[in-house]
Amino acid sequence: MCVVVTEAVPPRLRGRLAVWLLEIRAGVYVGDVSRRIREMIWHQITELADDGNAVMAWATNTESGFDFVTHGENRRMPVELDGLRLVKFIPSENPDNTTQ
Amino acid sequence: MSDKGNFVPLKPIPIKDRNSMVFVGRGQLDVRDGAFCVVDEVNGERMLIPVGSLACLMLEPGARVSHAAVKLASTVGTLLIWVGEAGVRLYAAGQPGGARSDRLLYQAQLALDESLRLKVVRKMFELRFGEPAPERRSVDQLRGIEGARVRKTYELLAQQYGVQWHGRRYDPKDWKKGDIANQCLSAATSCLYGVTEAAVLAAGYAPAIGFLHSGKPLSFVYDIADIVKFETVVPVAFQIAAKKPPFADRETRIACRDSFRTSKILKRLIPLVEEVLAAGEINPPEPPRDAQPPAIPEPESIGDSGHRSG
Repeated sequence: MCVVVTEAVPPRLRGRLAVWLLEIRAGVYVGDVSRRIREMIWHQITELADDGNAVMAWATNTESGFDFVTHGENRRMPVELDGLRLVKFIPSENPDNTTQ
Repeated sequence: MSDKGNFVPLKPIPIKDRNSMVFVGRGQLDVRDGAFCVVDEVNGERMLIPVGSLACLMLEPGARVSHAAVKLASTVGTLLIWVGEAGVRLYAAGQPGGARSDRLLYQAQLALDESLRLKVVRKMFELRFGEPAPERRSVDQLRGIEGARVRKTYELLAQQYGVQWHGRRYDPKDWKKGDIANQCLSAATSCLYGVTEAAVLAAGYAPAIGFLHSGKPLSFVYDIADIVKFETVVPVAFQIAAKKPPFADRETRIACRDSFRTSKILKRLIPLVEEVLAAGEINPPEPPRDAQPPAIPEPESIGDSGHRSG
């Protein structure tokens, strides 16, 4: 099981992801792919994302039961805490904007 | 278009990592932003199909296909099969067979030499019935033994599922002519032939060069499909026939897809093809020493060996 979430990526990447995965919400893709195919899809994302950002999560044998990789800039950045991977939420540069 | 203009080629993925098939009717198959979709002009709806994750796509009456859609399907190595009533095949387009000359020559060599052909046929018999073929029999005699066993198996399964059975009778031109069990069997076998053909092509072999079957464009596909027919689609067909549903063909199809998933048939088909041919105990021919190597080496591909990578 593998999930991809994209933000602000060009339409051609969104179309390309839909060649193998199912877009269940805008920019959210799901599929059941092997490791090799997952890496191939990730390569496509890193090459075609331009200024957008993306994250890919997949079920695997870690303590959390999944692992993930990110590409591009996003206010949620992965951090590691004693071997557990968590996400840090960075404040907006625009102080009026506290939610998201 | 982006200013970076990165280009990432689109490549086929192995058959074993795919889902079996999807049937599409009524709609215009097209490509939007590089994704394969079915456009319903009447309601303005679009449905995206992950075509790269399918072994084959069955197009039913009412489907219209654009040039871009066929191009995308062929780039990701997905077989397009045009089917008629009840999913009985009419025409297919995908990668032409025999993308690998060494495989093609190997297959032809096995089929041309009588003693090698017999070895292959004996292996098929063994895999199909789970016991070695009787000694000192010709291909013809083995076909006779096989026919008798197949008739018996049909009778047993019909009895088991409580279906009326008067033998395998069907009119390829008129699906509705057969009784319900035969209708379900025709619908089920055409599903199996679809995924088997996709596997044979992806492995780089020719669908027409058969060992037991001959003289048909899909002889080898029938050979391979017959090995697994009775553990996959035949029980499914009888199961559906016993229920006498109003839409037998659709029910059969859904049940077939389930049985393909649970029996992991797509993982097994290409190794099965290789195992059958390996029974001849010869190696694929080496290219001649003075042969001209390709001017442009084939790019790396994660697909199967017979997938043409653009």
